Amino acid sequence: MAVNPITMAALVLIYLAATLIIGYMGYKKTKNTEDYLVAGRDSHPVIIALSYGATFISTSAIIGFGGQAANLGMGLIWLTVLNIGLGILLAFVLFGKKTREIGQRLSAVTFPDLMCKLYKSPLLQYIAGFIIVISMPLYTAAILIGGARFIEPTLGISYSTSLILFALITAVYVVFGGLIAVMYTDAFQGTIMLIGMTVLLALTLVAVGGFTAGTTALTNMASLVPKALADQGMTGWTSMPVLGSPIWFTLVTTIVLGVGIGVLAQPQLVVRFMTAKDNRSLNRAILIGGPFILMMTGVAFTVGALSNVYFYQASGKIAIDAAGGNVDAIVPLFINGAMPDIFVIIFMLTLLAAAMSTLSALYHAMGTALICDLWGRGKECALSMRAHQYGIVLMMVVSTVLAFLLPVSIIARATAMFMGLCACAFLPAFAVGVYAKVPSTKAALYSMVAGAVIWFLWTAFFHAAEAKPLGICQAIFGKVTLLGSPWTAVDPIVIALPISMVVMVLMQWQSGKQQPSAVTG
Amino acid sequence: MLLGIPDPQILIGYGLAIGLALACIVYGILNWNKGGSKDGS
Repeated sequence: MAVNPITMAALVLIYLAATLIIGYMGYKKTKNTEDYLVAGRDSHPVIIALSYGATFISTSAIIGFGGQAANLGMGLIWLTVLNIGLGILLAFVLFGKKTREIGQRLSAVTFPDLMCKLYKSPLLQYIAGFIIVISMPLYTAAILIGGARFIEPTLGISYSTSLILFALITAVYVVFGGLIAVMYTDAFQGTIMLIGMTVLLALTLVAVGGFTAGTTALTNMASLVPKALADQGMTGWTSMPVLGSPIWFTLVTTIVLGVGIGVLAQPQLVVRFMTAKDNRSLNRAILIGGPFILMMTGVAFTVGALSNVYFYQASGKIAIDAAGGNVDAIVPLFINGAMPDIFVIIFMLTLLAAAMSTLSALYHAMGTALICDLWGRGKECALSMRAHQYGIVLMMVVSTVLAFLLPVSIIARATAMFMGLCACAFLPAFAVGVYAKVPSTKAALYSMVAGAVIWFLWTAFFHAAEAKPLGICQAIFGKVTLLGSPWTAVDPIVIALPISMVVMVLMQWQSGKQQPSAVTG
Repeated sequence: MLLGIPDPQILIGYGLAIGLALACIVYGILNWNKGGSKDGS
């Protein structure tokens, strides 16, 4: 890295100090449990929008999926379409307002607590809490590893120390300041991300001679698509893969649908709706949320794809070859090679901000699920601030240990796995729960269990990207997956979510027939 | 070939992404004062 390490370390330390000071401001405003769990239900629209967006976008969205765009092309822009259309517009307008109203009326403080109160079923709270406590540490471990890999070379300290330091610094303001501190720091980090991605877009367009010049050059590079990718259906970086080809299935089902839909029922995002004072705050938050996401994933995917032009002009290689075959290395390599030194620092801070904002939200969601929804449910400690602090610390330790223990091949899949599981298990029950006048507990229970179980079966036995590193299918049946192509490329969400939805809708409809007064709407 | 992109599917994707972000802005402006606590929501 050409950047002066002392300047880099100094700016990172200033950023960390600013984060802790803002976290302290959140701590000072936290007076009671409602403040700690749902930010006093009085958050400013700008804070809601930036916190939702910064939590939504982790390092993997920028580095991982930016690298995927460099590898697979601009078709990833369809993920941005879903990110904004479903993740912001639909999420806020259809689910956000209802969630806020119901959450306030029923005094719900966590996502599982909301499910329990919607369906009047503690069992649902236990199941939702259990799914969160089991699956979220995996996603958290992935974020921790990403952050530690950045801190290690930046501050010149060992990987282990980086990981522990990153986990501890983020935990400090989450543990003491609760959701107010999390959302304040999210807003600060979201602002850094916005500045970083705006400058990245501008400098990339300068580097490739403008948008049209860049895309024209990229179109003319179609013959350079690696043979392995071309054989699997890739046609170029400015065109979609061949319909029904393995690359098309990966792009459309895993990346666009899997991640695009997966965001809709993530517990740590749903809680953000419950922090709004009224629907006006959510209306105003939409104004900022949509453009924010466009500037995050839209820019990451465009820059990722266009980096091929830069690499080809600079070294005669396409991006994936220049990065030695490592998709995750493409965006950092591009930044280091094509950008001025000062921007390298800004972009590194952008990545740290993206990682910390997601990590803090996950700590809070896991800790509150453990205490409020599992261990403390029905007890006095369910609403004790001190008990939640212990819960967050415990889940932080579990995630950190996982980050050290789990093989990288599984961690690399953790983001997609977590989002897929959340959507399959929670989305149908959550959607019907907030809209049905008399939601059926039995329907929600069967839908959640069916969604989670089928998701797991498809993940472990059919979808090669997860089945291979998990090794369960190999151990039982002696082969990586039970079916061949194209099923190995079909994401679990495409199978499990429709089944979970059908179970929910049919059983809810049947329950409505048995109770003529139970009109849904 | 519009904007250097030959595939309409990619162009539509970009159009929708930018259009939806603009729709968020328009929605926010049109509903700026709707749904306040005084509206009883």
